[in-house]
Amino acid sequence: MDIEGNLNLIGYGLAAIGPGIGVGLIFGLGVQAIARQPEARGMLQGQMLIGFALTEVLALIGLVLAFVL
Amino acid sequence: MSDEAIHAAAGEDCHLFGDNNCGFEEVAPGVEAFFPDPILEFGLPLTAGITKYTLLLVVSVLLVMGFWYITTRKSAVVPGRLQSVAEMLVTFIRDQVTRQQMGKEGDKYLPLMVTLFLFLFSMNVMGIIPGLQLPVTSHIAFPAALAVYVYVMWNAIGIKRHGVAGHFVARVVPGGAPKWILPLLVPIEIAQNFIARPVTHALRPFAAMLSGHLLLAVFAVGGWYMLNLGAGGFLSVLSVGYSGIALVAFIVFTGFELFIMALQAYVFIMLASSYLGEALEGAH
Repeated sequence: MDIEGNLNLIGYGLAAIGPGIGVGLIFGLGVQAIARQPEARGMLQGQMLIGFALTEVLALIGLVLAFVL
Repeated sequence: MSDEAIHAAAGEDCHLFGDNNCGFEEVAPGVEAFFPDPILEFGLPLTAGITKYTLLLVVSVLLVMGFWYITTRKSAVVPGRLQSVAEMLVTFIRDQVTRQQMGKEGDKYLPLMVTLFLFLFSMNVMGIIPGLQLPVTSHIAFPAALAVYVYVMWNAIGIKRHGVAGHFVARVVPGGAPKWILPLLVPIEIAQNFIARPVTHALRPFAAMLSGHLLLAVFAVGGWYMLNLGAGGFLSVLSVGYSGIALVAFIVFTGFELFIMALQAYVFIMLASSYLGEALEGAH
């Protein structure tokens, strides 16, 4: 059986595991924190989104490199 | 989906169950969708001339200007329906972004953040407007220009507030770290704050829009590829079913993309105000 294609895609798939776990942790723990302290929701959401953005960019860098390299 | 991809899919008569045994990889959209042919070329070095991106940029600028013209043309103390939409947007960004990141001082930068948000959002939304369908931010040049603007601005604010030494020391020396670890931390902080930060700030909307646009293009082209009414009998029915699934996925992901577009614009101004807030605050 012949398999053709680009090895970069497998690399990107592996690279997306880390940010995936990270984003899951951020939102999971964020929701937990909001459930424990609903009045802090506004502040927590802001922090959650910053953490999300910083983690997500790792997956996006991987995506760009999968195209570039 | 780009014009070239549509034409490639339509022209070559390449369909599932077709006679010429054509595979999807022959019509699948790739990165060439992000390099449209120039409409007008000036022949200047290092320029691409006027491409679809330039036109869509003009369209999105007009869209933002039109939004503010329509909503605030007849401003009143008691807002009308349209004016309250604009006011809700401004209040939302003030409460959720600038006050959170910069405190009361941030109100000065609220107009900038609202403008950046709407501009980025309208540039992103070009990707799902039928007929246009190319997010302007899927070309790195456009988010990069905005990121460079924010980068220059937070450095300028920091230097104005705390002086050159005060600003750069506060940025590269983390507060509360023991002296002996500084030789290790300072280079990391320099790379993080002055290199990685602007690069990732620009890369984030770019990569999100690039991947989102490719995703939509794959479903659109795939749906067209799998639709083959001439296959005969059962295979025709099957191909209609397959392309129906692709159509449903396309519609669902279009809605999802709209959410991602708003989120990326929001995250962009969120980070911009967090950088500005750090520069305002000085050492921490």
